[in-house]
Amino acid sequence: MARKSVVIRLAGESGEGVISSGDILTQAAARGGYWTQTFRTYPAEIKGGPCMYQVRMGDEQIYSHGKWVDLLVCFNQEAWDLHWDSLAPEGVILYDETAVEIPQEYRPRARPVRMEKLAKEIGGSLRAKNMVAVGAVSGVISFDTTPIEELVLRRFAHKQGVADANIAALHAGEDEGADLKGSLAIVEPVEVEADRLLMSGNQAIALGAVAAGLKYFAGYPITPASDILEWLSAKLPQVGGITIQCEDEIASICSVLGASFAGQKAMTATSGPGLSLMTEVLGYAGTAEIPCVIIDAQRGGPSTGLPTKTEQSDLQHALYGGHGEAPRVVVAPVSVEDCFWTAIDAFNYSERFQVPVILLTDQGLATRMEVIHKPDTSAVELWDRRTSAGWNGDYRRYAYTDDSVSPMGIPGEEGGQYVATGIEHDEFGHPGYTPEIHVGMQTKRWAKLEPLRNGLARHVTHGDERPEIAVIGFGSTFGPVREAVDRARAEGLSVGAFYPRVLGPFPAEQVRGFASGARRVIVPEVNFTGQLARLVRGECGIAVESHAKCDGLPFTAEDIYDAITSTQEATL
Amino acid sequence: MTTAAAKRKPADYKSDLKPIWCPGCGDFGVLASLYRALAELDLDPARTVIVSGIGCSSRLPGFVTTYGFHSLHGRPLPVAMGVKLANPDLTVIAVGGDGDGFAIGAGHFPHAARRNVDITYLVMDNEIYGLTKGQVSPTSLTDQKAPSTPWGNLETPLNTLGFAVASGASFVARGASFNTKALTELIVQAVEHKGFSFIDALSPCVVFNNHQEEWKELVTDVAPDHDVTDKVAAFDLALRGGFKLGILYRELRPTLDERYEALVKASKDSDVDTMLEAFSARKGAAIGKPVA
Repeated sequence: MARKSVVIRLAGESGEGVISSGDILTQAAARGGYWTQTFRTYPAEIKGGPCMYQVRMGDEQIYSHGKWVDLLVCFNQEAWDLHWDSLAPEGVILYDETAVEIPQEYRPRARPVRMEKLAKEIGGSLRAKNMVAVGAVSGVISFDTTPIEELVLRRFAHKQGVADANIAALHAGEDEGADLKGSLAIVEPVEVEADRLLMSGNQAIALGAVAAGLKYFAGYPITPASDILEWLSAKLPQVGGITIQCEDEIASICSVLGASFAGQKAMTATSGPGLSLMTEVLGYAGTAEIPCVIIDAQRGGPSTGLPTKTEQSDLQHALYGGHGEAPRVVVAPVSVEDCFWTAIDAFNYSERFQVPVILLTDQGLATRMEVIHKPDTSAVELWDRRTSAGWNGDYRRYAYTDDSVSPMGIPGEEGGQYVATGIEHDEFGHPGYTPEIHVGMQTKRWAKLEPLRNGLARHVTHGDERPEIAVIGFGSTFGPVREAVDRARAEGLSVGAFYPRVLGPFPAEQVRGFASGARRVIVPEVNFTGQLARLVRGECGIAVESHAKCDGLPFTAEDIYDAITSTQEATL
Repeated sequence: MTTAAAKRKPADYKSDLKPIWCPGCGDFGVLASLYRALAELDLDPARTVIVSGIGCSSRLPGFVTTYGFHSLHGRPLPVAMGVKLANPDLTVIAVGGDGDGFAIGAGHFPHAARRNVDITYLVMDNEIYGLTKGQVSPTSLTDQKAPSTPWGNLETPLNTLGFAVASGASFVARGASFNTKALTELIVQAVEHKGFSFIDALSPCVVFNNHQEEWKELVTDVAPDHDVTDKVAAFDLALRGGFKLGILYRELRPTLDERYEALVKASKDSDVDTMLEAFSARKGAAIGKPVA
């Protein structure tokens, strides 16, 4: 019986075709009408080092990258040594015949691939190794290679000879699985619609920002956020905006505030170390009430940490980092598709409430490629900033109003002149340190965010609405949680998940309501100290089981399923 | 055709806030020069932004009727750049002190200069930290005794003018608070200059570091035959003639804002739907290239 989905893992030395093989397979699968999700590990070194590219493809939407590998492709011995223990019980192995020694007990389900020989003799160059590997994979999973051929023809549109050689190498590879050919046959895709997209979380964020009207982006290179800077550098001028690579993260966020002060929608993107540097300026933005959006693609910390691995350890920094108590909003998308919509939300919250908004993503979500539904841009709704336009005389930039949002003067607007300042100030923006002013302004700055706590924010739930086993998480862990919840419910358990898409201000009432009938509350997160668990305990006053892990890898659905089905002590 | 409105006067730029500076502070002279320069340029207060950092002199935006951005310690330059790039029609002037600009904010200075953003940076240089009561700054003299250097300053002062020339500032000048006529003229020329213009204005702190009388003796004008387009001559003046008032260096080269404007103009027009379409799973990019 054909499989609904297959997990394929390619592994080897960085630079020998592992990544390009994974890319080809992913793009071809998407083109062929399959849903896919990828997971990659990157060496932190510039050149060399072990790398891994996992592709999960299937005929229904894929929510996680998969734990057990159905098909392992080893480009070298180290690949086998590092990955053999991830093989599914029936998992099949393809390996470079010249480079890998497979232990006796695995040989019945392992077949050699003449990667170098076929690449050189049929593909015309060692560079065609990736085509041989992809061909061999296609053979084992019975994947129709037509989309691969189309992609090759596009890539080498003006080099017919190269294209032909690559396609020949592809077909030569197809037979390498010998008797294991077709052993992991995947079902035909059911619905080959035209409006699916293949993109990474970072790309979805950049596109969401463009949809929201981004006009100024400043950033400093940092893994794993740099490709937002790079993609926008190419694209933002096409919609009349600009990007700039600054001298550091402080300059990036400062210039973003300058641009926003001047009336443009502005954003920066960074990772943990950069967020640390920006923290003083975030306090300023909260106090001077200047809209801005900060993308934090979290990576393994602390300090330089694990630059190429994933972690969700900036949550408390994003919520509370900085001296004093300056308001901010923290949002977290739950999937690649949601990255698009959350970026738009971030701008809307930022503009409406004149507040910095931090969008928390992470290395796993930022870099994985995923087939998603094409966002319907006609559903995009944009919220405007309240400006001084139309204000009659005696303009007060920080006027107390019914909703605590004040009119913002934009340079060029007559009569809107004021001085933005981080010094405590009165309604006019003039420095003032009296108890009345400080209490009044702190109250105003925090009160304006209350609508976000009270129904304005859209959160994500899955499974039972009032479950016996409640799962509360944030961000990228939603995919595997969703899958695990479905599995547990199919087995008769009452399980549900609640994912706040706005974490600050925290929707304590909703979370408490969701968990009110639960006998267990599970909080999975990728960090060491259990930051979200602490937040839920503190904000909701309920006992939770913390499932925090910090191995640099995303959760799998199996990890979550295990947490759901095995009890751990809950603490307050 | 409408009749031109009467030219603005220096008083039109005076806000209701009274400066909080000590009596006799050099910054009064700089502020007076700025009012006159703004009036001479007849700048629209609604289209002018003054950005500052933190320190005595950085309170200046509050005393002017233009838009103001009293930012963080050391950060006026990146803020000013963001304002200018977001709306190149605005006139943007960054102000601050020597500690703000050349200690905590020094990392931004060479980049603002080499980028040649069309903004003016006016530093009120008193060679001391005034607001925090008299500690040494990067421009304080060697051996100077101060609360943080009771044994005398062990460090060599930074040559701000040489730093500016080396960094690629396209307009470098020195002024003095006690010579408001000349300083007014320098500010006018700096604002009119297309590109990053830097004025280091000697502005004595009469409480903690009063060099006013000494500086008045030391300053002379840049010689009339000095060639402002000669970078080597500018270095020579910066390194050896620190008390020469006037323009040391001036060059015209494309500004960053102009270059961005040209870049945007030259880019093909697109929209988010077209950009999304490029990621289409069915029509996606060729292999070996990043998707879209």
